Amino acid sequence: MTNGIKRRDFLRVVGVSGAGAGLAGCATGEAEKLLPYVIPPDDITPGVATWYTTVCGECPAGCGVHARTREGRAVKLEGNPAHPISKGALCQRGHASLQGLYNPDRYPGPMLKEGGGFRAATWDEAESLLAERIQGAAGNVLLINGHTGPTLSALFDSFVAGVGGSRVEHEALSEAPLREAVRIAFGQDVLPHYAFAEARLIVSFGADFLETWLSPVEYGKDFARAAVVDAAGSKGRFVAVMPRLSLTGLNADEWLPIKPGAEAAVALAMAGHIVTSGLGDAGPYAGLLQDFTPAVAARLSGISAEAIEELAEQFVSEGPSVAVGPGVAGQHRNATAANLATLILNSVAGNVGRTVHVQGGWTGQKARPYSDMQEAIQRMASGRVGVVMVHGANPAYTLPTASGFGDAFGRVPFKVSFASAPDETAALADLILPDLHYLESWGDSNPRSGIHAIQHPVMRPVTMFDGKQAGDVMLSLSARLGRDLGSATFHDHLRTAWGQLRSDVSGASDADGAGDAWWRDVLRSGVLPEASAPAAAQDDASTSPSLRSSGSALTFGLPEIDGDGMDFTLLVYPSSRLYDGRFANRPWLIELPDPVTKLAWHGWVEMHPDAGDRLGVRNGDVVTVTSPHGSLEAPVYLYKGIRPEAVAISMGGGHTNMGRFADGHGVNPMVLLPAAVEQPSGALVQVATRVTVEPTGEWKRMATIEGSDDQLGRPIAPAVELAALSAVAGSAHAEEGGEAEVHHDELKELNLGGGFVPVPTEGRPEDFPLPGSRYGEYEEALSGPRWAMAIDLDKCTGCSACVTACQAENNVPWVGEEMVAMGRSMAWIRLERYYETIDATQAGPLDVRMLPMMRQHCGNAPCEPVCPVFAAYHTPEGLNAQVYNRCVGTRYCANNCPYKVRVFNWYTYTDVPAPMNWQYNPDVTVRVDGIMEKCTMCVQRVRDVQNQAALGGDRSIADGEIVTACQQTCPAEAITFGNIRDPESRVAQLVASERTYRVLDELINTQPGVSYLKKVTFHAVGSEAE
Amino acid sequence: MTRKPWMLATLIATISIGSVAFVQSQDQDTAASTEQVADTTIQPIAFPHNIHADTFGMDCQYCHFSAERSVDAGMPPVATCAGCHRFIPGEQHPEEVAKVIDYATRGEAIPWVRVYKVADHVTFPHMRHINAGLSCQECHGPVETMGSIEEHDPAWPGANMGMCVQCHVERGASRDCAVCHY
Repeated sequence: MTNGIKRRDFLRVVGVSGAGAGLAGCATGEAEKLLPYVIPPDDITPGVATWYTTVCGECPAGCGVHARTREGRAVKLEGNPAHPISKGALCQRGHASLQGLYNPDRYPGPMLKEGGGFRAATWDEAESLLAERIQGAAGNVLLINGHTGPTLSALFDSFVAGVGGSRVEHEALSEAPLREAVRIAFGQDVLPHYAFAEARLIVSFGADFLETWLSPVEYGKDFARAAVVDAAGSKGRFVAVMPRLSLTGLNADEWLPIKPGAEAAVALAMAGHIVTSGLGDAGPYAGLLQDFTPAVAARLSGISAEAIEELAEQFVSEGPSVAVGPGVAGQHRNATAANLATLILNSVAGNVGRTVHVQGGWTGQKARPYSDMQEAIQRMASGRVGVVMVHGANPAYTLPTASGFGDAFGRVPFKVSFASAPDETAALADLILPDLHYLESWGDSNPRSGIHAIQHPVMRPVTMFDGKQAGDVMLSLSARLGRDLGSATFHDHLRTAWGQLRSDVSGASDADGAGDAWWRDVLRSGVLPEASAPAAAQDDASTSPSLRSSGSALTFGLPEIDGDGMDFTLLVYPSSRLYDGRFANRPWLIELPDPVTKLAWHGWVEMHPDAGDRLGVRNGDVVTVTSPHGSLEAPVYLYKGIRPEAVAISMGGGHTNMGRFADGHGVNPMVLLPAAVEQPSGALVQVATRVTVEPTGEWKRMATIEGSDDQLGRPIAPAVELAALSAVAGSAHAEEGGEAEVHHDELKELNLGGGFVPVPTEGRPEDFPLPGSRYGEYEEALSGPRWAMAIDLDKCTGCSACVTACQAENNVPWVGEEMVAMGRSMAWIRLERYYETIDATQAGPLDVRMLPMMRQHCGNAPCEPVCPVFAAYHTPEGLNAQVYNRCVGTRYCANNCPYKVRVFNWYTYTDVPAPMNWQYNPDVTVRVDGIMEKCTMCVQRVRDVQNQAALGGDRSIADGEIVTACQQTCPAEAITFGNIRDPESRVAQLVASERTYRVLDELINTQPGVSYLKKVTFHAVGSEAE
Repeated sequence: MTRKPWMLATLIATISIGSVAFVQSQDQDTAASTEQVADTTIQPIAFPHNIHADTFGMDCQYCHFSAERSVDAGMPPVATCAGCHRFIPGEQHPEEVAKVIDYATRGEAIPWVRVYKVADHVTFPHMRHINAGLSCQECHGPVETMGSIEEHDPAWPGANMGMCVQCHVERGASRDCAVCHY
């Protein structure tokens, strides 16, 4: 400083230091506001949830749900235990309804096409414009709609009849071939209802009854009941007869990998073998069965005749049995024949009336034929339609390009869409009248005889979006057109319709004065009480219809497939996450790893590893898939569960106008398909063409949550053979005793290394707290509850509903494709899938293990001692807890976790576009970046029940009162949670089972609080420790 | 830079001042400290707790209605205020009372400024504490003697976990972290 400070330098110093002090201003001094109600609603206590009963509207199955709302916002959906279809469970698509309700891409209000885009319009303007156009169309009005409740459907009919026009129903996943087959075989216009719970042998020719087929939640529950080992030591068996294993197929005990299209031949051969063995009667189809011997079927299907004969014999000896035909994934040009063959097989084996119910089956909601749409497309293209309206359907995306829908739709002078959020069809429309989401709407559902349910709005419409119920729009339009349809609002219309229904069913009418009380009861319970119970509506063995002969000429052999000379048969299957693509803008569902391939966000092409070797492609290599009708590019996924001469692509991706999450992700296989119609059902053919597959030379890093599909000899998901189980209690005890001794020897060696004190345990109630496990000085550890969980892997189907339920309950964020590819998925629970025995070339046993893995709440947790700030610690109740505000983000805990169930917020993923934040559960902290999180066993639910118990006079908590979110939603009832220190609790009893094990526990002595019950197989299991 | 050591010294000083200032400001951000909230608290209506709770002897839970049923104590709806004040114009400050009626007539929520807030990441269930026999004053202080509440009572434990824990220890309630932090 000898030169003295120059003025410039001085100013520089002051300026910089001043800037440093200015950083103190980084704190926001804003105060928070508290806004009270103006007039408080009677049924809302702030901080306490209000529940409403309604029906899920996302697919035609019609599961009843309870919606949990907090301060007027729906935050969670759970199955309605009293509803005959869902019985308390719900699938991942049902949970993700909330992301449809709060989707930021929903239309802000009516939109009118102007110039190249849309401009906002008022409802008055929009409706008067539409009324004007309808009058001008002079009877050429076309209404295209997807699945709707009966009352809205009838209203559509009256409206269309009044203005002159017609209505076409379009469901992309349509069971039209099955409906046609039932019409041919039994003369009834219905889809059968299948009683899986009664069956001891289930044979599926492709129907994905655990994912999208007919009623996946109900059938998932029934399947788990059938598959469980009963007291007599017998277990239901499931055989998959299909070219590609869907998730449903992966749950089978045996796989007959038939060639695509050979379902009918195999079913008929089985039926024929049963008849020739004198065990069944073919009725009018005796001649047909003689044409399809096991030898013929073996030639057509690529499976040995012995395997077919053996299965046929088992189909009778292991009765009651049930066979379900190819679903949408197997819809080829002979799909009606394939379904008819399955019905013949069921009838020959005596299943109709026992496990297959024709009377009391599903209404035709899920069975609209594509041929109706084809006719409508022709009419639009030829200029015979003046106004077209589309509700609940997206044919511009779900139909193949070859169908010509886009062009035909464009020809219509005035096009209207009722879509509440953008889709490809709405993008082509001239006017958009956004419908409300089903959670904001009135409606009803009648999926099956004897089930009438009410769809009840659970909150006022989300204020950001100015939608209007389609029913209200219809009534208002009719009024403008001078027709009075009887009610001012759709609610009144529904009320009148249900008053009529009540009098039809029970004779009681609203005039008796009890109408209002009756209506309130209906709204509270959700179903019409007077309707006959669904079971009573069904046929039984004595009333079941008998087979009729087929009048039409059906081909039962291999179907015609386009693309002669091309390498692979293309299988296009519905996605259990995205369905037909309608859920593609819901990040929970796109990020939910596909249950079979464990891939998220992007699309893929499945091919067998042998085929991959031949082509010289590995996982991730991008290939061009070309059919005679179109082409697309996607990365390859090598899958052992598909025949080597087939490739498969999931529906649902490749959107161009669905929203910010959907666009640009995945591929749409419909571009590869022709617009072929199956006769006589009129269904769209999905197994229609062969394709060539050529590597492009590029490679894509796939977004997968899977580390390996091979257990590599570790006892992660062991299984036990049924024969080993049926051993009587005596030998089981001896086995346990022997194991315990081995256990002690191993653990003594660990002790020598100077490690932690090893403690052998069978997890009995009296064992807790375990000496050597970390409890701190809490006295409550000695007397209070010890929360634990038991998961039965014999019931778990891998459906992944638990993952989405957990995400909804615990504000678990989604992270996007790039993050998932980096291994940063934030899911608190994941489904691991390991292949043990899988062979795509011949009939044989199938053994695929599903393991729901969440934080194990280890008694001897490796994550707890390494946290420098005591954010990860063990509560006296046995939970491994995470104190979010202590966490500084060292990530040592995740490093130490052997199960890799701790997830880190690398960014603030929870900053989501409005109104998606309305969904957040107020009972659970919303985490920001820098915080580690993991499964808490829904501690907020534990605390809630404990609070209720304390308020209720310090009463004790009953077993089963606390239900975690994953447990609550599981259709298979695989998860049980409770107090393991209570010997009467269900979880303590399950843990005492001979099938119980804990993952990796005897290797690393983590003493997890989550016990698993081994899967039971019919064949001898491999060489794991058990 | 070592040729002009005072530049290096300045840089170090800037960084030190800046980071200390930054850290200090972060502290104020997360813990609801008494000083910060007091600076910015001005209620839209000068509601006097002492007149209502002391002079007229109104129960806390007449207005804060969900305290014994819910995690949240509840703010009185505008309809509750208007219920009396439609007929009671107030003697000392009729212009403040008129504001209440004004909000009620317009159907607008009164934007009260929050004074009592526990720290982030804490779930505080009011009903458990009321059920255990605590009076509101134990944590909120002698509210019935307060005029307009502009800052916490000095005894407010919400800003300092130590006071919560002390009470839990004295009364034998659970000291488990996961009882409140989840």
